[in-house]
Amino acid sequence: MAGCGNDDDGDDGGAGADEGGGTLTIYSGREEDLIGPLFEDFSEETGIEVEVRYGDSADLALLIDEEGDNSPADVFISQSPGAVGFLAEQGRLAEIDESVLEQVAEGDAAEDGTWVGLSGRVRTLVYNTDLVDPATLPDSVLDLTDEQYAGQVALAPTNASFQDFVTVLRVQLGEDEAQAWLDGMAAGDPPTFDGNTAIVEAVGRGEVPMGLVNHYYAARALAEDPDLPVANHFFPEGDYGSTLLVTAGAIIEGTDDADAAAQLLDFLLSEEAQTYFSQETFEYPLASGVEPPEGVPPFDEVPKTRVDLSELGGGLAATTEMIDASGLTR
Amino acid sequence: MASPGRGPAGRPPALLAVTGAAVGVAFTAPLLYLAWRTATGEEDLAALYTSPATLEPLRSSLVLATATALSAAVVGTGLAWLTTRTDLPLRRLWATLAALPLVFPSFVGALALTAALAPGGLLEGPLGLVGAEPRRPEGFWGAWLVLTLFTTPYVLLPVSARLAALPASLEESARLLGRRPAAVFRTVVLPQIRGAVAAGALLVFLYALSDFGVVVILRYDTLTRAIYTNRLLDRDRSVALGLLLAVLAVAVVAAERAAARRRVVEEGTRTRAGLQVPLGRWRWPALAAVAGWVVVALGGPLASLSLWAWRGLTGRGSVLARDRDGLADLAEPALNTAGIGVVTAVVAVAVLLPLAYLSVRYRARTGVLANGLVASGFALPGVVVALAVVFWTSQLPASWGLYQSYVMLVFAYVVHLGAQSLRATQVAVAAVPRRLDESARMLGAGRARRFATVDLPLMAPGLAAGGGLVLLSTMKELPITLLTAPIGFRTLTTRIWADVEAAFLAEAALGSIVLVALSGVLTWVLVVRRADRLA
Repeated sequence: MAGCGNDDDGDDGGAGADEGGGTLTIYSGREEDLIGPLFEDFSEETGIEVEVRYGDSADLALLIDEEGDNSPADVFISQSPGAVGFLAEQGRLAEIDESVLEQVAEGDAAEDGTWVGLSGRVRTLVYNTDLVDPATLPDSVLDLTDEQYAGQVALAPTNASFQDFVTVLRVQLGEDEAQAWLDGMAAGDPPTFDGNTAIVEAVGRGEVPMGLVNHYYAARALAEDPDLPVANHFFPEGDYGSTLLVTAGAIIEGTDDADAAAQLLDFLLSEEAQTYFSQETFEYPLASGVEPPEGVPPFDEVPKTRVDLSELGGGLAATTEMIDASGLTR
Repeated sequence: MASPGRGPAGRPPALLAVTGAAVGVAFTAPLLYLAWRTATGEEDLAALYTSPATLEPLRSSLVLATATALSAAVVGTGLAWLTTRTDLPLRRLWATLAALPLVFPSFVGALALTAALAPGGLLEGPLGLVGAEPRRPEGFWGAWLVLTLFTTPYVLLPVSARLAALPASLEESARLLGRRPAAVFRTVVLPQIRGAVAAGALLVFLYALSDFGVVVILRYDTLTRAIYTNRLLDRDRSVALGLLLAVLAVAVVAAERAAARRRVVEEGTRTRAGLQVPLGRWRWPALAAVAGWVVVALGGPLASLSLWAWRGLTGRGSVLARDRDGLADLAEPALNTAGIGVVTAVVAVAVLLPLAYLSVRYRARTGVLANGLVASGFALPGVVVALAVVFWTSQLPASWGLYQSYVMLVFAYVVHLGAQSLRATQVAVAAVPRRLDESARMLGAGRARRFATVDLPLMAPGLAAGGGLVLLSTMKELPITLLTAPIGFRTLTTRIWADVEAAFLAEAALGSIVLVALSGVLTWVLVVRRADRLA
């Protein structure tokens, strides 16, 4: 691999060393399998070399903050708005150019312009097609607290996407109702997992009939094993169970490659990249008028209400406190 | 019998003392980082450290770590004895296989093992044969079971090394006097290996404290879970809890060391070929027990992984079918994994040897503290160690080019994992009879020559065992690799993690199988065979 050494800019964190065609350093919380090809295409089209550090979004955000002014990172790609929100709060993010921000709908970018949404995932109920008759599934995620589903729905209470979804419930319904939902789910003593992959695997194996996950995991599991008895149940008509969660891109404050960084975000919102998200990773495109992938609800059927999920101070922390209080994490 | 630790210890040579001090200071990196962040944070420490929200998980952490250490000590010692000192069939094969569960990164190992044990899992059939219901491991019992299965090698490897170096004469005499194998083990062998068992159990204790992956998957609320889940949401709190964990580790290890100093060290070294205790009619039950353990601890996760890999290899639309490079892609990460693992293991042993000499040979009081400091790096989650090393390296001039270099990576690995070789190294140093060294000195051999010709060959099995633990742990390390390695440096573990995150279970499984196979070869070549040959 090139880029093993401490070559040129970024690493020194010092000024200068920026001319066109330099190296752009990306810290990516999105996996290489999914987004790596796009970085390669960008490099080919623009002649800008990129080097990418892959990792967990939250850990990379902590790393960037710890590196401070010396951070080699120019761009940060995050799985969820939470991690970019943390960096924005620490003053580590630069304001993104309006020409980039305006490519996505209002609510899919930070109000202060520190991050822009790149793609979206909706929450869904994955179920085992051998064990569950889809006709018995509820129209609203809120009805999963009914007696008949007690203990039947796998959850990932420490997973960022689940937490974001609970945040939406909390902001939209109020703390009391959201807490009541969590308590209702916890009352059935549902099996819990640490992530979406594990849930889809357990549902496919028949250990648990259904689980709350992001929509594209079932598609990927089916790509590996088309005979796996799993399917998504999308809650209809703008139910909170179909909340759209965005992945985000941000530019690091003090980067000496601001232009190249903006170019990258621009590229990720282009028709080419958005089509890639739709067709290769089964995600919702957010810009350039690209259509969502097949088999997912059209845009006008996912809830319009966007909540600023990057708000951490009292935001996400309050959510995790509620999840802890329900007993789901113990 | 020699008594290496007794008598006037004398003053350590200056160079040794200075080196030891420098190593000790290096290991304060995480502790000082946490202290600095806590001091500059806004957390009300008095309130935090007395709140039930802290004390309850703290208690859970201690209970889990203690229980796991005890069970791993019992099982690990039994496996070590059976595979080194008896006529168990295929004992060296079992010795290698039983060490391997250590290499499963907990995020994939626990996932695969729970998938095998759960209803609908692959062990449902075998479990049904013995009348057991499949059940997803959960809570305290689940975490205890899974951690014990994965951490027993921490006891197995050092105890095997110690047993390989034991004189056979006492056992032989005892046996000739008509004692049964069990009695021989209890009265003759056990007193000789106590140090090694304690060393291994302590590692298990620290590992269980630091583990995050297993407790989250199995839903058991520990202090480490709180450190991890709060790291972004409430960093001041997360850091203050990390400091608590580190101080706790220092205290526990220092106390254990202080107690060990008072124990009379009475450990001999074998001078001729080892003894094989005939198991008699216990031979086959013993084989069944060892095989049963390996089937669950290693076979359980491997069964799930194989199923996932099989699905991916045969499925029509599979990623691997689409991407023909799937397997070739693993070559470079595999080489990186083995290379960085061996380098880290050698560096860890070399760096900790001076500390071991200071605390064992010269019985330096500071050795107790140094032990605690080294251990604190292991009791903390890898992310915390990585961030601490990033913090300190950022204070150095950028022109040194150390940031995110291989030097920084190995340094971070050693700070996190070095504790694993320290104790094995100490046990090895303690096993070198003082009188041999003294004889050599009287014959006029210089210090370096005595070290190379007397000490090193005798210590080799112990050093190999300590280095082996570091090797296996480095190979499965994730957060430090992700955050501090040079950009573009990929290991099998980072690949596996990315595949799990992206829900490509088949690729993750293939990577894991390659990781286990690679670890098996390295354990066999560098640890098991070596211990047999050099002892």
